[in-house]
Amino acid sequence: MAIQLNVSRTTADRFSRLKALQPPSTLPLSGNEVGPLRNPVEEESFGCASGVTTGSERLALILGASVKRNGHGEHLSLHCWHGDHAPCAPDAAALRLLAPDAPQEVADAQQWLFLDTETTGLAGGTGTYPFLVGLAWWEGGGLEVEQLFMREYSEERSLLAALAERLAERPVLVTFNGKSFDWPLLETRYRMTRTIPPPAPRAHLDFLHPARNLWRPRLGSVRLSQLERHVLGWNRGADVMSELIPSIYLDFVRRGHADPLVPVFQHNQMDLRGLAGLSGRILSLLSDREPTSGDGLELYGVSRICERRGELKRARKLYEQSIASVLPMETDHAARAALARLARRDGDLARARELWESTLGNSREGYEAYEQLAIYYEHEAREPRRALTIVREALAHLRRANQVGTITATTYRRAKARFELRLVRLERKAGRTLLDAFDG
Amino acid sequence: MTPSQQALAPRLSTTLDTVQEVLGTLVARYRTDEVLTSVRQIPAREAKFRPVPDWVRRELSEAYRAKGIKELYSHQAATAELVHNGRNVVVVTPTASGKTLCYNLPVLNAVLENPDTRALYLFPTKALAQDQLAELHDLAKRLDDCFGVFTYDGDTPNDARKAIRERGHIVLTNPDMLHTGILPHHTKWMRLFENLRYIVLDELHSYRGVFGSHLANVLRRLRRVARFYGSDPQFICCSATIANPGELASQLIEGEVDVVEENGAPAGERLFVFYNPPMVNRNLGIRRSYINEATRVAKELLARKLQTIVFANSRLHTEVLLTYLQQANPPKPGQAEPVRGYRGGYLPGERREIERGLREGRIRGVVTTNALELGIDIGSLDACVMAGYAGSIASTWQRAGRAGRRSGTSCAVFVASSAPLDQFIVQHPDYFFGSSPEHAHIQPDNLEILVNHLKCAAFELPLSPEERFGDVELPELCERLAEAGFLQRSGGNWHWVQEGYPADTISLRSVTSDNFVIIDTTGDDDGEPEVIGEVDFSSALTTVHPKAIYIHQGQQYHVERLDFSQRKAYVKRVNVDYFTDAIRYTQVRLLEIAEEQSISGPAARAHGDVLVRSQVVGFKKIKFFTNENVGSGKLELPENEMHTTAFWVTLDHELLAGLPFTLSERQSGMFGLVYAIASMATLLMMCDRRDLGTAVGERPPSAGADTNIAWQDCATATVTSPEMKEFFEPNLYLYDAYPGGIGFSEPLYRICHVLLTRTRELIAACPCDNGCPTCVGPAGDKSERSKEVALAFLERLCS
Repeated sequence: MAIQLNVSRTTADRFSRLKALQPPSTLPLSGNEVGPLRNPVEEESFGCASGVTTGSERLALILGASVKRNGHGEHLSLHCWHGDHAPCAPDAAALRLLAPDAPQEVADAQQWLFLDTETTGLAGGTGTYPFLVGLAWWEGGGLEVEQLFMREYSEERSLLAALAERLAERPVLVTFNGKSFDWPLLETRYRMTRTIPPPAPRAHLDFLHPARNLWRPRLGSVRLSQLERHVLGWNRGADVMSELIPSIYLDFVRRGHADPLVPVFQHNQMDLRGLAGLSGRILSLLSDREPTSGDGLELYGVSRICERRGELKRARKLYEQSIASVLPMETDHAARAALARLARRDGDLARARELWESTLGNSREGYEAYEQLAIYYEHEAREPRRALTIVREALAHLRRANQVGTITATTYRRAKARFELRLVRLERKAGRTLLDAFDG
Repeated sequence: MTPSQQALAPRLSTTLDTVQEVLGTLVARYRTDEVLTSVRQIPAREAKFRPVPDWVRRELSEAYRAKGIKELYSHQAATAELVHNGRNVVVVTPTASGKTLCYNLPVLNAVLENPDTRALYLFPTKALAQDQLAELHDLAKRLDDCFGVFTYDGDTPNDARKAIRERGHIVLTNPDMLHTGILPHHTKWMRLFENLRYIVLDELHSYRGVFGSHLANVLRRLRRVARFYGSDPQFICCSATIANPGELASQLIEGEVDVVEENGAPAGERLFVFYNPPMVNRNLGIRRSYINEATRVAKELLARKLQTIVFANSRLHTEVLLTYLQQANPPKPGQAEPVRGYRGGYLPGERREIERGLREGRIRGVVTTNALELGIDIGSLDACVMAGYAGSIASTWQRAGRAGRRSGTSCAVFVASSAPLDQFIVQHPDYFFGSSPEHAHIQPDNLEILVNHLKCAAFELPLSPEERFGDVELPELCERLAEAGFLQRSGGNWHWVQEGYPADTISLRSVTSDNFVIIDTTGDDDGEPEVIGEVDFSSALTTVHPKAIYIHQGQQYHVERLDFSQRKAYVKRVNVDYFTDAIRYTQVRLLEIAEEQSISGPAARAHGDVLVRSQVVGFKKIKFFTNENVGSGKLELPENEMHTTAFWVTLDHELLAGLPFTLSERQSGMFGLVYAIASMATLLMMCDRRDLGTAVGERPPSAGADTNIAWQDCATATVTSPEMKEFFEPNLYLYDAYPGGIGFSEPLYRICHVLLTRTRELIAACPCDNGCPTCVGPAGDKSERSKEVALAFLERLCS
């Protein structure tokens, strides 16, 4: 007996010394720290009155969610309706810019399914689970939200099957960063089931890239909550930090702490509502019906989207409008550089020259302008001497910037090398023209 | 290398006379048989051909024919036939025997039969995968690009990855990328896994020890994922000559494997020479420096226009040898250096350039570590010089195989150092030529390694209680992982419940995966600092500690600053006449005794679990050429901790007290003894010297209670004790130098008696007076009687 005890203690020790078995260090996550929303009185009344024992039951109670069943099992589902949203009617011009190859259905906002997931991790890979799938669609003059939640890992299949059903009803998927995050993750999850085929949305509209084009110059980053505040003028109030969400869920799974999940559900709802609001705003900015915005930066953003989609005429018009309004120096230069490119394409060299001349200086666009002007004078205007002057000026500018330290070493080296090459050629050419003149 | 490639590069064949002439020059002044302890002539071998099997599709045999391959060597045919019959195979192939055809032929044939077929090739390094890519691209071109071949590793651009997953019939990668990049994202690789028919493991022999134990677990995960997609791939392995290729392969893939050992490739005549540097002081057992002697040999060979590869056993020695050889062979004006260095720390571009230079013959000599021991294609050279024993018979043959023309004579020269193993081998050539090469040991069920991979496996697919993963009680272990917060049981299966990505924190090769970058700040004023190389975490502490002299491509650099948290070492170019050698301090803490038994002496043998802490505490400055110690310094660097297994011998107090020696004589005798035992242990276990660490410490009253101290000098591994303290009942430890241990401790415990008897023979037979590096370690650091004391201990232990 004594020996046996000794052996089992030894085995236990062997396990306890394994580095691989040592609990990972996680963020401190006691109820108090996440829980301004947690109400101790409420907890007490629920806990005693109805004899609720498990975290899942408690969660269903405090959220008012119900258990849904299908052929693949059970999951939790929470419905609510928000009347303060009006469905938008996207026009053809805007949709062309957003998703040029999308089929007809896209134009019908009733077919849209907004989607946003909360996951057990942000790194991706097959061990990351979408524990909460938030869905929303237009209904009854407002926004209907349904949240699918897996109370434990085995409920994932049922949740995925429910999602496939919703998507079959409304086949146009609408997301924010869903093209590179949420949807690939969900496709992985479907593949992992080996039985539920990944549903194929008829079209997928993702608003991250347009939002970046439109607002990054102004806001720096484009997180959904930020866009809500600065673009839509909404205020979320208390919101859970998204970095904390995985650990809140894992804490629920491991210890049954249900209350801290409530703000996660709210966060997900707010993301969906924000996405719905933002999609309307972006579509109206991109439509060509309205006189569009007076904000130069937004105009610049729309122009860039137009340019990328090959709607060059509209792009040129909007770039002109944007530089006519007030723009920060950097954006102004970028807009002028883009506009000059378009003008040259259209053969409008006079306008292009004007634009280049207005942006010369120590910036990326400034040096590009020098170069373009040099090309213009060398090949179009056939004035190599003038081109030479331009190149010398550019080189002087570069050297000065390097002395003062307003240019990075690599940019300096590269730009200098490019201009010097041009200089040598132009000097030879200018020399020859001189000789030609003598010969003549 | 294929016969056709060989035919494309005809070279002047070396004659036996040239080599004999070199040897004559070298030993003129000495008694030949004492210096050249063995000169063996290995006769040329005829090729054994077999026809291309008739199941090989015509377009494929045509493609090979167009490359000049009309028939197969017998081992290629045998391998192809076995693979065709659905068997797992390991083929044993020396350097340059056409091994790639062994797997390419059956794999490509299967791809041509069914274009859905997919294969995964694993190479131990990125460089080797790149090397194979060229050959496969060439075949693809000859077959109208009907199949896709891609490398997939850390350097693969993101935008190319998707295409590779879809269109790559053959994906060339390495175990690390499989572990962190492919398996955790297996759903993206669905097409590959659903159709995965072949897995090729090249350079199988390099998967031993820790790396091999990790790989066995990665393959467990791979097979698990393949099963999920309904495929059951077949394995084709290639190995250099080791004693147990079949056993290693079947341990790695956990399945039956057929072994093809007969080699049908031809080889030219070879000369294998053992060179023992002449004695300069018979009493002290001092021989001429083997580095200097290896330099002389290489110089003579280079002077006769023989393209030569020189192997050294450490980075430091590579650089020292390179310095000497470059001085002797300066570049012609306007030309590049004819002698170059090649080792792990060099940047990839530089390495490719050197490989090309060697193949084209532009580079006449190369000094390298084991980096060129593996199958990197550098063509075949005329001569190979090994400065010091490679550590194993298998590696020695592998290195020697780098020199070997199909026609004419090539030669390999082994220059012995005064290390015990070297001296044993050089004085017993029959042992070397008569023994089978080493066994490769792995321990896939090392708990530390297994549990880490179990986490990765759970991340990849939920674990079911019916599954098997190595030889462990899976449900019990999963429960432990659940308690620790990694897994959660739901619907019967265990799921991964962490935010993190487990594979990212597990390195297959060493304790940590970070490298230190070496930054040259010499030209700081007129430009940007330049990255000149990198060293791995474990060698960083001994090679780029502050004030170290780091040598790169023969240039010395003084380490100005080591930024430990940023993993950066800032160096400045210098020109000094010394190099530095770090001093390491090791503590062993006994955690648990697995078995213990009294032996004569009185003493005891035991094995069990220990905790080893080590720290680099200082360094010595050693003068070039004379090897004088010209100064030292102290260092404060972070400590390294490792939980591993150890074998040890406890000397009872009665034994110590019963011998007529002073305290300090006894102490130095103990260090001498452990030094000699460790040398003999590496020979008996057929493992690398670096796989075993040594320490001496007081026997603790009970496990876990006491700390033991010893000093260790890294480069020479001699044990010295600057702060001599009295041991009452010392433990002499030999520990596995890997976390968790790799299985030497228990076998050493079993053969304890043989080990001690052989050690006694080793010391007794040594001609020195008071101890030398060959037996109990250099006499200088110890008391004069350490050899005598060590022998006295052994008398009692073996009686």
